[in-house]
This record gives sequence, C-alpha cells and structure tokens, in this order.
Amino acid sequence: MTDQTLQSTPAKPAGRWHLDATDIARIAVFAAITAVLGLPGAFPVFGSVPITAQTLGVMLAGAVLGAWRGALSMVVLLVLVALGLPLLAGGHGGLSVFVGPTAGYLFGWIVGAFVIGAIVHAGGRRLTWPRTIVGVLVGGILVVYAIGIPVTALVLRLPLGPTALQATVFLPFDLVKAAITVAVTMTLVRAYPRAFRMRSRGRA
Amino acid sequence: MLTLYRPGTGWLHRAPAGPKSFGLLLVVLAVSILPSTWLSAAVGAAVAVVCYLVSSIGMVELGRQVISLRWIIVVTFGFQVVFLPMESAVANTTRVVAAIVVAALLVLTTRVGDLLDAFERGLGVFRRFGLDPQRVALVLAVAITTVPVLARLAVGVREAQRARGARLGVRAFVIPFLVVSLKHADDLGDALTARGVA
Repeated sequence: MTDQTLQSTPAKPAGRWHLDATDIARIAVFAAITAVLGLPGAFPVFGSVPITAQTLGVMLAGAVLGAWRGALSMVVLLVLVALGLPLLAGGHGGLSVFVGPTAGYLFGWIVGAFVIGAIVHAGGRRLTWPRTIVGVLVGGILVVYAIGIPVTALVLRLPLGPTALQATVFLPFDLVKAAITVAVTMTLVRAYPRAFRMRSRGRA
Repeated sequence: MLTLYRPGTGWLHRAPAGPKSFGLLLVVLAVSILPSTWLSAAVGAAVAVVCYLVSSIGMVELGRQVISLRWIIVVTFGFQVVFLPMESAVANTTRVVAAIVVAALLVLTTRVGDLLDAFERGLGVFRRFGLDPQRVALVLAVAITTVPVLARLAVGVREAQRARGARLGVRAFVIPFLVVSLKHADDLGDALTARGVA
C-alpha cells in the first residue's frame, strides 16, 4: 500500500498518489491524535469502565482524511508502535503487540480506516448522515472484527465460533464509539470544513 | 518521549538494529509454530528464559514482562480451558506469551532512533517501486514529534472546559481537540512547504 502512495518523483506532476506537505502533516497528526486518544485520562471514562478511546481515532481518521490518507495514518501509527513507542492504549508498544492475540485488530485498523474513508467520501460528494453511519459501522466495526477475530482464533488455535462470541463483549463499546464518531464527524464538517479538503475540488 | 528502551551494555544491546530485528523475528516465528503439546510448552518457556539470560537482560525483566501480560494470560488461558483440553490450553498460552516476551527484547535493547534508521535503510529495497524512504522517515519523524504536542493540546482543552464549568463529555472534548489538532496539522503543513517539502 505504502509502495504506491508515498512516491515522490518531482519530475512527474502530482499524481493521484502523490502526497504533498499538507497530506504529510495530516497523516502524521492523525496518527498522533489516535495515539493521544489512547493515553490514560485523555477524556473522562463512563462511570468506572475504563474504555479506550483509541478506536475512536481509527474511525475518525478514515471519516475525516478519506480512504488512502486515513489508512496511511494508521500505517504510520503502527510503524511507530512496532519501532518501540508505547503509543497503544495502556502504554503498549513494540513488535510484541503484533504477535499477540489482538494483532489482527491492529491490521484491521488500516483496512477499517480505508473502508470508512471510501464509503464516507464516496465519489467526493458532500458528507451525508446515512453514508457516514454506514461507513463507520462497516469499516469501523465489521471490517475490524472480520480481520481481528480470525487472527485471534489463529494465534490461540481456537475454533472461530467461540472466538467470535468472545469478541462480541466489546461490541457495545464499539457501537458507542461509532455513534460518537458519526456525531463528531458531522459536527466537524461545520466546525472545521477545511479538514475535509477533497481531492476532486482541487487544491488551494 | 517515554520509550520502552532499557539502557544496557550487553551484546544484544550492541548488536546492529537491522540484523537483530531479523534474528529475533526468526526466533518469534519458530516459537509461534510450535505444536500444542506439553513438550512445546516447555520448549517455548525455555526459549524465552534462555533468550533473556544470554542477552544479559536478566530474569527480573522477564518477570516484569510476564506480569505486564497478566491480563492477556488470564483471558487467554481462561477462555481456552473452556473449549480445549488442558494440554492445548497450557501449550497455546505458553507459546503466545513466549513469542510476546521474545519480541519485546527488540525494543528493550534498541533505541527508537536506531530502529528508525534501520527501518529507513530497509525501505531502500522498495525504492524501485517508487517509494521514497526519506519521505517515509519524514512522516514518521513528524508524527513522533507531534504526539507530545497534541497531548499538551488535549490537556489545554480539558482545562479550558473545566475553567468554564462545562460538563466533561466525550463529544464535548473530542470536537475542540480535533479542531485544534487539525489547525496544528495545517500549520505543520505550511511549515513543511516553507522548508521546501512539495
């Protein structure tokens, strides 16, 4: 994925996959936003349930940045984690998180952010409530679980059925985060429209 | 920024980052494909102990790593004894924990900067596909420096809301946090452009 998207041949006019300085800044900043949302106390918890807001960052990256840049920001975050920065919720990091039972969910973030961006920004049109809701649910939950659950089953050598059943424990929290993502995204369109700078409208 | 690195002078600390990553990955892979038997549980545990002993990281750190994984161990094991025989449950849990603690050796013994350099060098092989390793390294470096900046901005947003007596909800925090973060991104983009990043 990064092979095609990060190319920078100055001779060529900025192609579809060319990233300019603004793209680089946005991708880096959204990787950082997702990391900061995983910090303890980044925002108050519901009652005493210490949920992590990190997947909120994953969903927002796709919804705000779009498919390619959203997925790339997740790649950047995961590369930093792999290189030893403790940026995952709970201060986890290092190569070890990619060999543990939850490794699939991390890879799911990349594909999930891409799918969210692809659906929410479909055709470069204005963001609409229905498309944002569908995109966040499909990309943020369905895709992430579809990659996370089989990897857990594979790592732990468990049958797929019970593993999927176990994963549904987190479904209520993810649904809440999906709802927050949709509300935040639709508010952000009005609060900071520049964030949704679309390719089709050309660049300033 | 806080990292997982533990300073030391052992041979694993001094080993170059690239070959060390590759070697440790091979050990992790070997541990991961062990069959689910009592014997492989013992082999997995032995590999982890030997790795920590010969790398002069020591058993104290190994103990610390295993304790930090206590919830993964409890959930993994507890869930498996329900569906699998005891032998498989013990072997699978040991295998996963051994793989995780051996993989942890890399970040325990290597500075992030060294790993970043090794990563950038490793990306050189993708140059022929149009990937620019320096551009990738730039994105990573910008992201690393941005994390503490945004953490500060997040604290600022929370304190401003508290000062106004606002109720602290998730939405009420995330929207202003995103706006200040994205404003920071735009400033960062302008700064990069001004320094000749096209």
